[in-house]
Amino acid sequence: MPTVIARPGLPPFETPEPSPLDGGLGWRIGTPFHVPFLARFGVSTQLGTIWLGFWGVLSVIFFFAGLAIETAGGIYQMQGNVLMMVKYFANVQVLPPEGLGMPHSLQDGGFWIGTLTCWALSVICWAARCYERLLRFQWRPYLFFAYMSAILLTSTIWVFRPLVMGSWAEAPGLGLNSDLDWAQNFSVLWGNLYYDPWHMLAIFFLFGSTMLWGMHGATILATAAEGSHKEVAEIKDMHSGSHKSMLFWRWTMGFNANPKTIHDWLWWFSVGTVLSSSIGIITTGTVTHDWYVWGVDHGWVQQYGPITRDAINGRPEPPPIRSKPEQANNNFLTGGPTVGAPAPAQGQQ
Amino acid sequence: MLSFEGVYRKRGGTLLSGLFGSDPFDFWVGRFYVGLFGAISLGATFLGIAVIAFAISRIGDGDLARVTITAPLREYGLGFAGFDQGGAWQTIVILATVAFAAWALREVEICRKLEMGYHVPIMFSFAISAWLVLQVIRPLLMGCWCEGFDLGFTGHLTWVSNTGFRYQNFYLNPFHAFGVLGFFLTAMVLGMHGSAILGTYNTDPDPVKETSNVDNFWRDYIGYSIGELGIHVLGFWLAIYTLIMSDLCILTSGTVVKDWVDFWHFSIPWFH
Repeated sequence: MPTVIARPGLPPFETPEPSPLDGGLGWRIGTPFHVPFLARFGVSTQLGTIWLGFWGVLSVIFFFAGLAIETAGGIYQMQGNVLMMVKYFANVQVLPPEGLGMPHSLQDGGFWIGTLTCWALSVICWAARCYERLLRFQWRPYLFFAYMSAILLTSTIWVFRPLVMGSWAEAPGLGLNSDLDWAQNFSVLWGNLYYDPWHMLAIFFLFGSTMLWGMHGATILATAAEGSHKEVAEIKDMHSGSHKSMLFWRWTMGFNANPKTIHDWLWWFSVGTVLSSSIGIITTGTVTHDWYVWGVDHGWVQQYGPITRDAINGRPEPPPIRSKPEQANNNFLTGGPTVGAPAPAQGQQ
Repeated sequence: MLSFEGVYRKRGGTLLSGLFGSDPFDFWVGRFYVGLFGAISLGATFLGIAVIAFAISRIGDGDLARVTITAPLREYGLGFAGFDQGGAWQTIVILATVAFAAWALREVEICRKLEMGYHVPIMFSFAISAWLVLQVIRPLLMGCWCEGFDLGFTGHLTWVSNTGFRYQNFYLNPFHAFGVLGFFLTAMVLGMHGSAILGTYNTDPDPVKETSNVDNFWRDYIGYSIGELGIHVLGFWLAIYTLIMSDLCILTSGTVVKDWVDFWHFSIPWFH
């Protein structure tokens, strides 16, 4: 009874027919080749070809330009020591400037502005590539709008909210731990982000996406022996595989989608995640300063401890997420245990 | 009934019919298949809801968003607590675990009836593992039922928040990071797959051409098309990966690692 999926020999290579829609802004490069090992996992073995188009090339150029500026910023932070930068790769961070004006110098936020400008252009060019390829293959533009929703979330974090708050310093710095520190700070500076209803909705969609992938992936794999994975064909003409997929959920939970509508659910859960995240981010610190107080005010949240609502409402604004490096000793090299150079002895400064 | 449903609705193939030759639970109610495990799951669910309703009436807070059925206090350790001191929580956790397990076994029986693979109950078992780790296994390892999360809409959010800060900075938990990566990846791949199907269905009379149009788009766009079976393999394993990372994330916190900031303060001898 357990499903046995037939593993045929390597299929013939598949490349698109030349089309007038390909246009004059690029060409298809590479020779397709097989990686037979991939067949063990049931995924396609063919790699290539790829479309080398104007927007894609531009996007890659901007990406690497941004990466170069960020790396330069990291090396600067390590006082030119490339080895130290590699060693402390996770902790190296390129920080945004204070305020919305032009940064005074590269190390004062110029690296960050330069990197982010390049990467913004890079994702916009990639969106253009996505749309241009969708036109070529005459898809309905679902993928483009899904990608634009993702861009909406990143630009809410890095552009729109800093603009509303009046400082680029509200955006995350660039770096592995810098992202995590920003997320940690962001979730506690404005009360408790878990009580943000948009955050709740975003988590619902995010966990729901994983759950839906579990349900959809498992259902299709369980019935793939009867062809349920050939979804575009099954939408036209259903066979026993899709029948079983539908009946399984109908008998289990009294509701079922069909080969077309399940993908509506998938798409909207994916897009819903980023849309509700964007609203949760843009409202935090702008229209709501404390989600705990908001929750208590609206009767969602139990009031804990002796801290009264009035006391919280009357407290001063939280400090900016980070202050200038020379004001705060937040450089882990000098703030933490000294590595490399010996610490200056007490009383010698 | 769906138009084709009659062909697939047949008795037999269940645990009881295999053991005793007949199964008194082997029937459908409307759309739902019942089965022995459906009856068990339903019984545990109704019992659990009754306990929840009784516990809420004892607490006396009618706001369902705010009311919380809390885990036992620390002084009870791994013992039983009185109903108002956490016994309600213990009863509900036991009943919910029974309901989840029976639901998974009911899915197995439905799989056997439909003669399909067991992928869905296996996936659901991984989801149950998250519940078990949070409410049973980790409290056992920590030596106290008070380590389980409180049952309530905003109450469990408070627990998540507190647990996140109790071990310093939870974002520095590597399993948390890999789990979040898995959640975001599932959302992204879900959007890509949904877009591919919604973008191309019924665009050509020939479904073979539609399918190769999907493959050719992805090859042009990113150089690789994983294939219509492959995308479901990827989604299946991404979901399992995410659940395993989530399990490890909470299982290690407080048991082997008390402080996720301190966790990274190790030195590799040859690295300095």
